[in-house]
Amino acid sequence: MAQTTAAPRMTRKQRKAQKREESYYLASQWSLMARKLGKHKLARFSLVILGFLYFVALFGNFFAPSDLVSYDGASKDMPPTQVHWFTEDGEFIGPFVYGTSMTRDPETYKKVFTENKDEIYRIRFFTHGVSYKWLGLIDSDLHLFGVEEGGKLFLFGTDSMGRDLFSRIILGSQVSLTIPFAGTFLSFILGLLLGSVSGYFGGWVDNVIQRVIEVLNSLPSLPLWMALSAAIPAGIPPVQMYLLITVILSFIGWTGLARVVRGKFMSLKNEDYVMAARLAGVSDMKIIFKHLVPGFMSYLIVSLTLGIPGMIIGETSMSFLGLGIQSPATSWGVLLKDAQQIQNIANYPWRLIPLVFVVIAVLAFNFLGDGLRDAADPYK
Amino acid sequence: MPNPIVDVRDLCVNIKLDEGLLTPVRGVSFQIYPGQTLGLVGESGCGKSLTSKAILAINEKKCHTTGQILFENKDGQVVDINRLDPKGREIRDIRGKQISMIFQEPMVAFSPMYTIGNQINECTRLHITRDKKESRRITLEMMKKVGIANAEKRYDQYPHEFSGGMLQRALIAMALVCKPRLLIADEPTTALDVTIQAQILELMQELQKELNMAILFITHDLGTVAKMCDNVSVMYLGRIVESGTARQIYKNPSHPYTRGLMNSVHKIGTLKQEKLFSIEGTVPLALNLKPGCGFCDRCDQRVAGVCDVAEPSARPVEEGHMAACHALKEATEA
Amino acid sequence: MAQSATVRSGAPRRRMNPMLSYILRRLVLFIPTVLIMSLLIFFIIQLPPGDYLTSYVAGLKAEGVMVDASVIARLEEQFGLDKPWYVQYLSWMWNIFTKFDFGYSFDLGKSVWPIIADKLPMTLFVSLIIMLFQYLVSIPLGIYSAVKQYSVGDYALTALGFLGMAVPNFLFAIILMYLTFIWTGTAWIGLFTKEMLQTGIHWNNLGEFLKRLLIPVLVIGTSGLCGTMRSMRAQMLDEQGRQYVLCARAKGVSERTIIWKYCLRAAINPTVSGLSGSLASIFSGSTISAIVMNLEIIGPTLYEALKAQDMYLAGTILLVMGVLIVVGTLLSDILLAWLDPRIRFSERSE
Repeated sequence: MAQTTAAPRMTRKQRKAQKREESYYLASQWSLMARKLGKHKLARFSLVILGFLYFVALFGNFFAPSDLVSYDGASKDMPPTQVHWFTEDGEFIGPFVYGTSMTRDPETYKKVFTENKDEIYRIRFFTHGVSYKWLGLIDSDLHLFGVEEGGKLFLFGTDSMGRDLFSRIILGSQVSLTIPFAGTFLSFILGLLLGSVSGYFGGWVDNVIQRVIEVLNSLPSLPLWMALSAAIPAGIPPVQMYLLITVILSFIGWTGLARVVRGKFMSLKNEDYVMAARLAGVSDMKIIFKHLVPGFMSYLIVSLTLGIPGMIIGETSMSFLGLGIQSPATSWGVLLKDAQQIQNIANYPWRLIPLVFVVIAVLAFNFLGDGLRDAADPYK
Repeated sequence: MPNPIVDVRDLCVNIKLDEGLLTPVRGVSFQIYPGQTLGLVGESGCGKSLTSKAILAINEKKCHTTGQILFENKDGQVVDINRLDPKGREIRDIRGKQISMIFQEPMVAFSPMYTIGNQINECTRLHITRDKKESRRITLEMMKKVGIANAEKRYDQYPHEFSGGMLQRALIAMALVCKPRLLIADEPTTALDVTIQAQILELMQELQKELNMAILFITHDLGTVAKMCDNVSVMYLGRIVESGTARQIYKNPSHPYTRGLMNSVHKIGTLKQEKLFSIEGTVPLALNLKPGCGFCDRCDQRVAGVCDVAEPSARPVEEGHMAACHALKEATEA
Repeated sequence: MAQSATVRSGAPRRRMNPMLSYILRRLVLFIPTVLIMSLLIFFIIQLPPGDYLTSYVAGLKAEGVMVDASVIARLEEQFGLDKPWYVQYLSWMWNIFTKFDFGYSFDLGKSVWPIIADKLPMTLFVSLIIMLFQYLVSIPLGIYSAVKQYSVGDYALTALGFLGMAVPNFLFAIILMYLTFIWTGTAWIGLFTKEMLQTGIHWNNLGEFLKRLLIPVLVIGTSGLCGTMRSMRAQMLDEQGRQYVLCARAKGVSERTIIWKYCLRAAINPTVSGLSGSLASIFSGSTISAIVMNLEIIGPTLYEALKAQDMYLAGTILLVMGVLIVVGTLLSDILLAWLDPRIRFSERSE
C-alpha cells in the first residue's frame, strides 16, 4: 500500500537520480567498459585516429593518386611537392602546383628541383586516373584527387625510382595495418585453444604445452622471426607471402595469452559457479565457452590490443631487413628500407615519413590498450 | 564522568564520482570513554569503516572529510584529528601509539615480504624504544600475551606460514604493542571461524581491562555486540539512527532498522521451522541521495508523505537513548 | 593425494633448505627446456627448401665450373645432408655432447664454435651494459612517476615512455646516427675504430670506445627502459592501494618508509621476474640494431647466416641466445625466490 502511494510521488529529479543509480548497478560489463573508455580522452582520440587510418587503408586505391607499379623516371628522388593556393599575383585559384625542372648543383652534383612559376597545374578532386580493382571486386579509376595532365604531385616526395611515396604509404598501410590484426587474431585463437586445453585438462598435455611456451619465450622474438621467414621461398605470390608472415608473427604471440588463459582456467575451475554448472550436468565444452571464457573476455581484449604494437614493429623490422614483405608488394617496413643509410636520410629526409605512421599507429594502439585496461576494471 | 577519549562531531565523508556525489558518512557523532567499548553496528556499506578510518585520518585522498574528531591525547590535550596533516608528524605520533586499529582481514593486513616479528616490531621501534633488544623483548611479550605459542620461532616466520586465527592474534599484538588509549576493531572476527572468534573476543576484553583502553568495535553482528559493548550506535546509510547503552538498545530497540537487525539474529531455541528473518532489500548506494529517511524504502512502518519527505532527526527515547525515526515521534506524541 | 596429506601433517617435514631445493627443482626443469629448444631450432633452421650445398653447386655450375656428381655425393654424405632432418638433428646433438662440435659453417668455411666464441664476449658485454642502463634508469623513474602520480613529471615521463616504446629501435638508431653525424661530423658506426682493431682497447681509446657504445646502449635499451618504467609505475601504484599499506599507515609509519619498505619491496618482484624477458628483448633489439649500426656483435652474423642458409651457424647462434636466456630465467627465478618468501617456501613447482 505504502509503496504504491510512494512511487508516483517521486519528483522527476528523484526518478532521474534513481535511474542513474540503477544504471550504475545494472549496466552490463560491456556497456560499463564502453562508458569508461569514452571518458579516457587519449583512448578515444586514438580510436578516432585508428578508425581514420583503417578507413584510408580500406579505400587505399581511391585515396592514393598513384599505384604501386607506376614510376616516373624523370622524377627520381624528388622532395615533397609544395601545394599552392594563391598565384604569384595573390589570386586565389584553389590548390595547384607549379611545374618543376631539375638541374644539378655544379659543385656537389646534387639534384636541385626548382619551381617553374609559369606552369600552373591545378589539383582536381574526384578525378579519373590509374584504374584499379577495389578489394579485387569492383573496377574503378576514381581517385580522391589528381593533378592536371603534365603536372607532378608528390605529396611526400618520391623514391629512387620516382615512385610516389604518398601513394606507397597508403597502399603499404593495407599490409602494415592488417598483418598485425590477422596475426593477433591467429595468436588469439591459438592462445585461447592451447591455454584452455592446458588449463582445463592438466596432466601431461599441460606439461608439454608449458615447456613449449617456455622455450618460445626463451627465444628472442626477432631472431626467431628472421629464422622462420628465411624459410619462405623467394618469389611466392604476395598473398601467400602475406599469410606466411602472419603465421610467423603469431608463432610467438600466442604464448603469453595461453599462459594467462591457463592460469584463469586453473583458478576458475575451482570457482563455485563452475562447480555448480558441472553438478548440474553441463558439458565441459559448454562450461568453457559459456561460462569460463566470458569471465575473462575483457582481459583478453586488453591483452590483444596491447599485443598489436609489437606485431606492427615486428612486421616493420622484418620487412626492413628484407625478410618480410617483398617488392612489388609494399609495407611501411619495405618503404623504410630506403632509409637504411645515413646518406639517404641526409639527402632525402622525406624517406623517414613512413616512420611517422608507424609511430602513430603503435602509439594509438598503446593508448587504446591502456584505456581498455582501465575500462576493463569498471568498478574501480 | 571522565572526558571522552574521542569525541566525533558531525563527521561527513564525501567522495566525488563521475556518477555524482557519494556521501557514505553523513553527520555522525559519538563519544568513546576510557575503559569502555562502543559498538558501531550496521550492514556492510553503511559507512562504518570509513568512519573508523577517518579517526586515524587514513582514508584515501579522494575522501573529503568534514566535521570534528576531537581526540584527547596522552598529555590531556585535545586535538582535532581532522585538522592535522594526514602525512604529518603529529598524526603519525597518534597512529599506532595512541589509537590503533585491527583490520578486517588479517590475511592481507601484513606485507607478505617481511616476517611477522619485523612488522610488529616496527610499531615498537617507532613509538616506544629504538633499542633493538628491548623492542624485540616487548614485541615477544605482546605476542605471548595474545596467545601466540612458541613466539620466538613465530617471530621470524612470514605471514603465509600463519593460520588465519594466528594472523589475527598477530594483528592484535601489533595493534596493542604500544598500549594505545583507543583501539578500533573493524569487524575483527568476520574472517575467522566461530570458535576462534570467541577466543579473540575474550582476548580483547582481557586486554582492555588490563590496559584500561577504549574500544570502538565495529560489526554487523548484534550477537557480538551484546557480549562486548557498553554502548551501541546503530548506523544506517551514513547516519547514526539509534544510540544508547547496550542494555537499552536490546531491551527497547526503537528504530525499525534496529528492530530488523535484532530479529535477524538467530536465536537458539526458537520455533524449529521458522524462516530466518531478514530485512528486505539492501543498503542503497549513498549516491545522489533523495530527501527523506534513508531507510524509508525498506521500512515496514513508513508513512507516506512523512518518511519520504524529510530526514528524521534524533529524538530521545529515554535517558541516554536516542533514535531517529518519524514513527517514534508520533508514538511519543500520541 | 590423501597419502601426501597424511605425510605432511604426520611426521615433521624433512627439512631441506627451501632455497636449495627450489634451485634444484629449477635446474631439473632446465634440461628438458633446452632439449625442446634445440629440437625446435633445428626444425626451423632446416625448413628452407634446399640446402647450402645445392645452392652452392648451382652457383658453381652457373659459373661454368663442372662439378662431379660423386664429389657432391661425397660432400652430402660428409655433412649428412642426404638424411632426414631428425637424423641430422640427432647427429648434431651427438657431436655437441660428445665433441663440443656445433657443426661447420659452409659459408665461412670453418667450424661454427670459434666464430661464435669470437663474437660472444662483446655481445654479452654490450647486453649487460644495456641491461644495467635499463634498470638503473627505469626503476627510479618508475618510482618517481608513481609517487608523484598525475604531476607534470609523471605526465612527461609517461609521454616519453610511450614514445620510446613506439619508435622501432632500428630507426631510432638511424636517427641518432644521423644526428651525431650532423653534430660531430663523423658517423659513429661500429663499436671500434680502425685503430682499436689493430691495437686493442686501452686507456687511450677507452673514451672513444665508450662514446661509440653510447648509441647502441641508448638505442637498444630505450624500448625496454620505457616498458620497465611503465610496469614499475603500475606496480607501485598497485601496491599503494594494498591493505597492508593502509595497515602500516595506521601504525604510524611514515610515507617515505611505506614507499621504500613496503611498496618498492613488493613492486620490484615483477621487474625481477621480467629480467630474462628483457634479456630476450635486448637480443632481439641488438640483432636488428647491430645490422643497422654495423656493431661487432653476434646479430649481424646471424643475419648473414640465415640469408646464406648456413644452417649450423644460424642454429647454433639461436641456440646460444636461447640458452643464455634460459640461464637468465634461472638466475632471475633464484633472485626472485631470495626476494620473495612466498616463492621460497612454496611446495609447488610452478
